[in-house]
Amino acid sequence: MTEQMLQVKDLTMHYKTSKGEVSAVNNVSFVVEKGQSLGLVGESGCGKTSIAFSLLRLLPDNAEIKGGDIILDGDNITEMDKKELLKVRWKGISMVFQAAMNALNPIFTVGEQIVEAIQVHNQEINVAEATVSVAELFTLVGLDPKLMDRYPHEFSGGMRQRAVIAMALACHPKLIIADEPTTALDVIVQDRILSQLKEIQQRLDMSMIYISHDIAVIAEVSDQIGVMYAGRMAELAKSNEIFKRPIHPYTYALMGAFPSIKGPKKSLTTLPGEPPDLLNPPSGCRFHPRCPRATVQCRQEVPPFIEHNPEHFAACWHPMEVENE
Amino acid sequence: MKKYILRRVIQILITLIIFQTLLFVILDAQPGDITNLYLTNPKVTPEIREQMRVVLGLDKPAITRYFQWLGNFVQGNLGISFSNYPRPVMDIILERAPRTLSLFLTSQLISFVLGYFLGKQMAWHRDTPFEYGMTIVGVILFTIFTPWFGLMMIYLFGIKLQLLPIGKFLDPSIWRNVEVPANTLFYYMILTAAIAGIIYVVINLLTRKRSRTLRQIIRLAGFVAVIGLVIFAWKLTPYGYLAGDILKHMILPVTVSTLVSFAGTMLLMRNTMLETLREDFIMAARAKGLSEHVVRDKHAARNAFLPVFTNLIISIPFALSGGIITETIFSWPGMGLTLLQAVNLEDIPLAMGTLSFVGVLALVAHLVADVAYAFLDPRIRYQ
Amino acid sequence: MQATSVQPNIKIPLWRVRLRLAWKSFKANWKLFVHNPIGVIGLVIILIFALMALSHPILMKYVWEPRVYDPVIGYDMEIFVHPSPPSAQHLLGTDPLGRDIFSQLLYGTRFSFILGISSALISVIINTTIGAVSAYYGGVVDMIFMRLADVVTMLPFIAILVVLSALWEFTGFTLALVYGLLVGFGGNSIVIKSQALSIKVKPYIESARASGGGDWHIIVTHMLPNLLPLSFLFMMFTVTNAVFAEAALSFFGLLNIRMSWGIMINTAQAAGYLLAGSEYLYLLLPAGLAITLLCSAFYMVGRALDEIVNPRLRER
Repeated sequence: MTEQMLQVKDLTMHYKTSKGEVSAVNNVSFVVEKGQSLGLVGESGCGKTSIAFSLLRLLPDNAEIKGGDIILDGDNITEMDKKELLKVRWKGISMVFQAAMNALNPIFTVGEQIVEAIQVHNQEINVAEATVSVAELFTLVGLDPKLMDRYPHEFSGGMRQRAVIAMALACHPKLIIADEPTTALDVIVQDRILSQLKEIQQRLDMSMIYISHDIAVIAEVSDQIGVMYAGRMAELAKSNEIFKRPIHPYTYALMGAFPSIKGPKKSLTTLPGEPPDLLNPPSGCRFHPRCPRATVQCRQEVPPFIEHNPEHFAACWHPMEVENE
Repeated sequence: MKKYILRRVIQILITLIIFQTLLFVILDAQPGDITNLYLTNPKVTPEIREQMRVVLGLDKPAITRYFQWLGNFVQGNLGISFSNYPRPVMDIILERAPRTLSLFLTSQLISFVLGYFLGKQMAWHRDTPFEYGMTIVGVILFTIFTPWFGLMMIYLFGIKLQLLPIGKFLDPSIWRNVEVPANTLFYYMILTAAIAGIIYVVINLLTRKRSRTLRQIIRLAGFVAVIGLVIFAWKLTPYGYLAGDILKHMILPVTVSTLVSFAGTMLLMRNTMLETLREDFIMAARAKGLSEHVVRDKHAARNAFLPVFTNLIISIPFALSGGIITETIFSWPGMGLTLLQAVNLEDIPLAMGTLSFVGVLALVAHLVADVAYAFLDPRIRYQ
Repeated sequence: MQATSVQPNIKIPLWRVRLRLAWKSFKANWKLFVHNPIGVIGLVIILIFALMALSHPILMKYVWEPRVYDPVIGYDMEIFVHPSPPSAQHLLGTDPLGRDIFSQLLYGTRFSFILGISSALISVIINTTIGAVSAYYGGVVDMIFMRLADVVTMLPFIAILVVLSALWEFTGFTLALVYGLLVGFGGNSIVIKSQALSIKVKPYIESARASGGGDWHIIVTHMLPNLLPLSFLFMMFTVTNAVFAEAALSFFGLLNIRMSWGIMINTAQAAGYLLAGSEYLYLLLPAGLAITLLCSAFYMVGRALDEIVNPRLRER
């Protein structure tokens, strides 16, 4: 029995805007086990990044967690006060940001910024000791430790990404969230960074959440995949399960949009329409306007997120599996 | 870094030469003989005028005069003042420059600190009456007509309330029988201020690595202690009350100068702070578990400060001009007053010399600020 | 077989299309502008001042007796002691030379507007031309102008103007000219040039050149319209500074101007009334307040425009 590192139950988060309330995350539940990686995939605006920020409670002033629990290794993050939250950030959960070049403060050296992270969570350690740790981290991510004293603008894109990964590892967190870690990079560097991340994760037996809109990336690195749509989780299962037997029509469409090198040549399916406006989301199942299998029930009732197959969850009134049988 | 400094120095030197050339061109464009201006001046006899002609090389061709002008400038020979004949212009400038500099530097320093902190506060307390109020106050102070404002302040504090002197450098009645010349005393005051400043900066540097509360306590205590020491030291000497007199005369000019210039910094700081707070690295800093104070002061404010500093550099000449106006209103005997008096008395060498000096001051200040900026922003150093 | 060129069947002339687009963008920008209370306040103040300026000639012609109310040579013989405090005939009182202060104020408004705007126009014409030309031609031309701009930015204008006033007699017109020149060659051209550069690399410039547009034609019809908003922005700040500079120099008594707000303060000071007591505040208050308000107003409009027009802020 592997232990649960992160348990998210019915997480709901809304943004207040001048035009109304945007329901960015709606009743999302998932579990990440120790040493396992979960990949969250979906179109832009589906709520995957919002979930990430909710986990760290790094939300802007107009956002609010309306309900649900986030439990990290036994501690309930949703109920923590400011002080406890500051301790949990980075030490409990850390994050590799999307646009890594902007995640680093341009007027401090990279080393200084990582030392800062270390010192915040460990009052005892002095600068010299912290610097040694930074050197180790750099080596771990494949960077020359001498680069510590350089400024962010002196790093290339790939190097910066590695530096940000090193920074995320600095306090030996229990869980790392990688938000679109390779989007800004070219394909070759992307590949290298991904394999580096996977290697580090396995070596340090760390739990990880990958976030990406690119299903190819997610497929490569995740043990478990969660498909997000319009703020709700459409499907959640182990990677090969999802690829072999997708249940939710949206997942199925995503697969179809993903060309397979090995399989037979078939035309790519594209999904008609656009992701819904979360200010006024569609009633019932939020996917129903674009779903080829939608019925009246889909429009009227929200499908429950249930276990259709062992350890394979989905929220759909007419799951694909049923059809295949 | 060194290359950057070298490059800037060379640029400033070139600018200086161009400036002097322009001054020469303006001067030379005068129709007729410059000595003709003194036909009506009884102090300047025909022999002296003839001598002036030779010295100024007015009989030689323009090119020769130009190089003579430049050469003189480099050697510090700015001619001889007509209104203060026979004192050399350089002499007069050296006497009066420290007064301008002390006024300028003090007010700029206070204005910068005030603008920085108030701007930061305005960004923190967004959409509050405080912010709106300060914006209005800031805009008004920024565009207020300085002479008018100065006069109102003089009227309020000098005449109505009788708290502060209405102008000038010192009160002659107090100084009547004092052997020490006012200027010497003033130099000592400046020296004291410089030493105190250095001590305070050193204290600040030494406490950089300490924790926040400890750091603030030490710095505050240091500030108070340094000032207390200075006052105590001066009180011990027999000239303490004289120094106090000069200081009393400085209060109003410095206040007016500061109030007129801090608003620009403050308003800009507020804007840049708000922009910086939206940056990704601020979110990253928060994600690392840093407290709000650290995020705002260390990460946001220092970055927000860079464009503000650039703006400061650009406004150096405006600040100098403003200083000149302030000096005139308060009859503070510095470069500004000298310039105006020289112009009114048609003392061309003095006027030109003073202008040269002001120009040099502007350029040097620019250079110092540029180098300081390179220290603050690592991205600049590597160009 | 000859290839025949296809003439597009366009009935609307180019200038009208341009006008329509300009009107649309003006309306959109206006909406943005009015969101900012500061800009609106500034604009209102400017309008009030404009009304004041326009009213002066009318008042002089139809309402007031020129002998008494002329701002420069008027004199009220019915009042014994000048300066006199505000009264029914003289809303703001009279100055030490017996002239009506209110009339002076209105005349000064007209003067400040003309001075400020002409200064600003001159400076903007020079600025924009330099910016566009530097960006378009690059090379030596660019370098010279930019170096010159660097030099000019570092120099304190008022000090220079003070000294110049000793050598030449400045009238309102020559002051506007010189000030406009000083600002024109200064730092604003650097910003305009970088904006012009961003336009220069746009594809439509390439195609304009390919279809045979001459250099000057491209600069004028393609680059300039896009630079105008920025130029307009700089104009606002130049007006502020020009009015301020004139007032300061007049206050010092260095200018050969018949009447302006600065002259008003100077007159009061020369006659020794400035620090004489609170009953003489009416001599100091109107002019000083007027200068401050007009400068503030233009500055506020400039700030509001800044947020709409400035490319630095627009990048986000």
